[in-house]
Amino acid sequence: MHRQNKQTFWSKSIFSLDHKVIAKQFLFLGIFFLLFGGYLAMLMRWSLTHTMEQLPWWLLGDLLYQESPVGSGIIGPDAYNQLFTMHGTIMIFWAITPILIGAFGNFLIPLQIGTGDMAFPKLNMISFWTMFLASIVLLASYLLPQGTAAGGWTAYPPLSTPVGGIPGSGQAYWTLALTLAGTSTLMGAINYITTIVRFRAPGMSYFRMPLTTWGLFLTSILNALFVPIIAAGLIILLLDQVAGTQFLVAGQKATIPGGDPLLYQHVFWIFGHPEVYILILPAWGVVSDLLSVFSRKPAYGYKMTAICMCTVTALSGLVWGHHMYTTGMSPLLGKAFMFLTLLISIPSSIFFLNWLGTLWKGALKFEVPMLFAMSVMWVFGLGGLTGLYNATITSDIYLHDTYFVVGHFHYTMAASVMFGAFAAIYFWFPKIFGREMNKKMGVVHFWTSFIPLNLVFFNMMVMGYAGHHRRIFDPSEFEFLKPILGLNEFMTLAAFVLGIAQVLFTINFFYSIFRGKIATKNPWNAATLEWTVSEPIPHGNFAIIPEVFNGPHEYSNPNVKGRDWISQSEKINS
Amino acid sequence: MNFSEVYSRIKIKSKNQLKLGGGIWFLDPPKDVSLDGYRIDDVIHYTDGIILFYFGIVVLLMTYFVIKYRARPGHSAEYDKGDRKKNVIITICMGMMVFLTIDVVIEGMAFRDLKQAFWKFPKGENVVKVEVMPQQFAWNFRYAGLDGEFATADDLIPTQNQMHIPVNTPVVIQIAPYDVIHSFFIPNFRVKVDATPGMVNTLWFQATETGEFEIACAELCGNSHYRMKGVLTVDSHEDYQKWLSSQDEEGEPEEDDWGDEDEGVPTFWGWSWKEAI
Repeated sequence: MHRQNKQTFWSKSIFSLDHKVIAKQFLFLGIFFLLFGGYLAMLMRWSLTHTMEQLPWWLLGDLLYQESPVGSGIIGPDAYNQLFTMHGTIMIFWAITPILIGAFGNFLIPLQIGTGDMAFPKLNMISFWTMFLASIVLLASYLLPQGTAAGGWTAYPPLSTPVGGIPGSGQAYWTLALTLAGTSTLMGAINYITTIVRFRAPGMSYFRMPLTTWGLFLTSILNALFVPIIAAGLIILLLDQVAGTQFLVAGQKATIPGGDPLLYQHVFWIFGHPEVYILILPAWGVVSDLLSVFSRKPAYGYKMTAICMCTVTALSGLVWGHHMYTTGMSPLLGKAFMFLTLLISIPSSIFFLNWLGTLWKGALKFEVPMLFAMSVMWVFGLGGLTGLYNATITSDIYLHDTYFVVGHFHYTMAASVMFGAFAAIYFWFPKIFGREMNKKMGVVHFWTSFIPLNLVFFNMMVMGYAGHHRRIFDPSEFEFLKPILGLNEFMTLAAFVLGIAQVLFTINFFYSIFRGKIATKNPWNAATLEWTVSEPIPHGNFAIIPEVFNGPHEYSNPNVKGRDWISQSEKINS
Repeated sequence: MNFSEVYSRIKIKSKNQLKLGGGIWFLDPPKDVSLDGYRIDDVIHYTDGIILFYFGIVVLLMTYFVIKYRARPGHSAEYDKGDRKKNVIITICMGMMVFLTIDVVIEGMAFRDLKQAFWKFPKGENVVKVEVMPQQFAWNFRYAGLDGEFATADDLIPTQNQMHIPVNTPVVIQIAPYDVIHSFFIPNFRVKVDATPGMVNTLWFQATETGEFEIACAELCGNSHYRMKGVLTVDSHEDYQKWLSSQDEEGEPEEDDWGDEDEGVPTFWGWSWKEAI
């Protein structure tokens, strides 16, 4: 922690052991892949409304798909399958995971609990570079002559094995890249858990931790428990792909009988369902904290919120079967999964009660982070409640594998988690980079994201309700879909607006890093410890490890005179 | 089909749907022509109603708070941590309310429907049994023939992607794929079941109207997944018998022009009917 020896450019900015530098590295990686994954979504939307038509120049049509078997510059069915596969994979594992968990986990945990760095700085650095290696493997799959993976982000075998007939070795690259990304996440998780358990500042009890740290803590526990499970699944999948084993393959086309495709589905979802909570728990934490900061009053029912987060964490490991109702699951098992899944509605509703309680009788300041935090209440309200249809066995029989599911998880993942991440970026940007982001551009970014996002994802659910099954290159093949396809053009337009809004965000982000207004130490008058450190934050963060006296949300405390907040490390004199 | 036509469909809802909510979705699912599809529509409409209720409360309160409690000169926040006994009681009451209005009701409806319909497989002489073997990218069907036994020489194998069933008669299918996972989805019947290699899945349904309906593959199965389409023809009893007697017995099925570029259907498939699934 007190390494005062000479720092070269390499040791300071590239192979740094400082959690703040590693956080920035994760942030840049995440934003790069966010744009990349978003671009893939734009190509998909184009293909859905202009099936088998030449890509326009503004989607880089002159550069892409030059050797496409269906014609130069045209997205064919193979390319379309690759698009949605990589869009899902990149957005979940390479965009929101690095931004929320990699970047904000790294940046906030030591600062919010009042310590100098992570428990294992070297492991932290290796975690990032493993992720970097995973990214290279993933991107390298694009250079393969027959293209990248095309088996969906779930990569169900036998489709993802040689039996499935996807040409080339993109699928194997995908599996390897994901295994590496999982390894990186696991290293991060171990580090975060150890840091939170062992390195909290004096006085920082668990129930004085900011809810963001709570979210990141529970997320890390889930990661540590469930990432090894998916890693095991991916490794046997990789063996099936490259070593000729048939663990996950069965049926007449498999040469060795006795494998089990369902095994992979169980393993995938035992991890995959906690994964959605892995992503949303930090977002819930961020939203709970930010609502409190910008309402200028303590988070309503703080302890209850933390306990509900723990409850959801525990339940999330017991509900994976609701992804598999149509696989011919045993009735008793199906009912148990449905019961447990619906139980999540109770802690979720308590979040909403507490969020509304935080706003109630507050003094609401509509800064950009607050806009994003409040919009999470809208999008997560819709996303969470529409989960009911998918949790119910009977309605899921109809809605499973339709656009309804796509709309639902985009509301929870792309909307709730991503907006939570945007709120976090706008909020902590002054602390990370020492400058402020442009507020006007932030407001424009918010509205041009929020409105089109709802138009796209709500209409996806509408289409799914009308029966539109997912992963369909050309929906006009089906008569029953023809009446609803008019909606597609509207959604594509909205999606392009949504895409342009993210370009605006990126411009604001990079412009502000170099040219933004120099930020003060605590621009939002926030009470948590990260706002007490001087700017730029030195290696080792705190000159003296602070002592904590208060909870994380001491706003408008009547015993504090002259201002409406008091830091966690200041004593209230009453 | 353009945009305005889509939106002109917004207001067409049946009485039954309005009663149970059902105001969220402005498009309707394909017409339900099955005996038990209404059960699924009903549980969806109940959920619609309860979602409108809870989401409505959240949005209304949020809007009210945004207007009433916005920061302005002369207005300051009230210091309230919401951790007194009163707050805990309110929280518990709301948890109970959510449990009773959402969990209990939806579970009650779903479990009742599963017991009375979807998991109550019909038995008896008049049940029509069909074996289904999806492959990349077509549907193969097999009927038992005169002896009533599957995997025998007199099995009937209709043209690929063509399934016929009689109206008002329970139909049980058993499904196992040739290559990868597929999913048998008939939107007009609100039913879906996965076909997973190495296992036989069962599904039953009953048509209430004659006509032609589409069978879609709902699980990604490869590059031509999007056009893996079958046609389910619901015949009157006479037409069905006529159709059955016109089908060839066991032999090479006719290839469909856009079927599969691979090696095609294996020369023999089928299994003896699994009674206790």
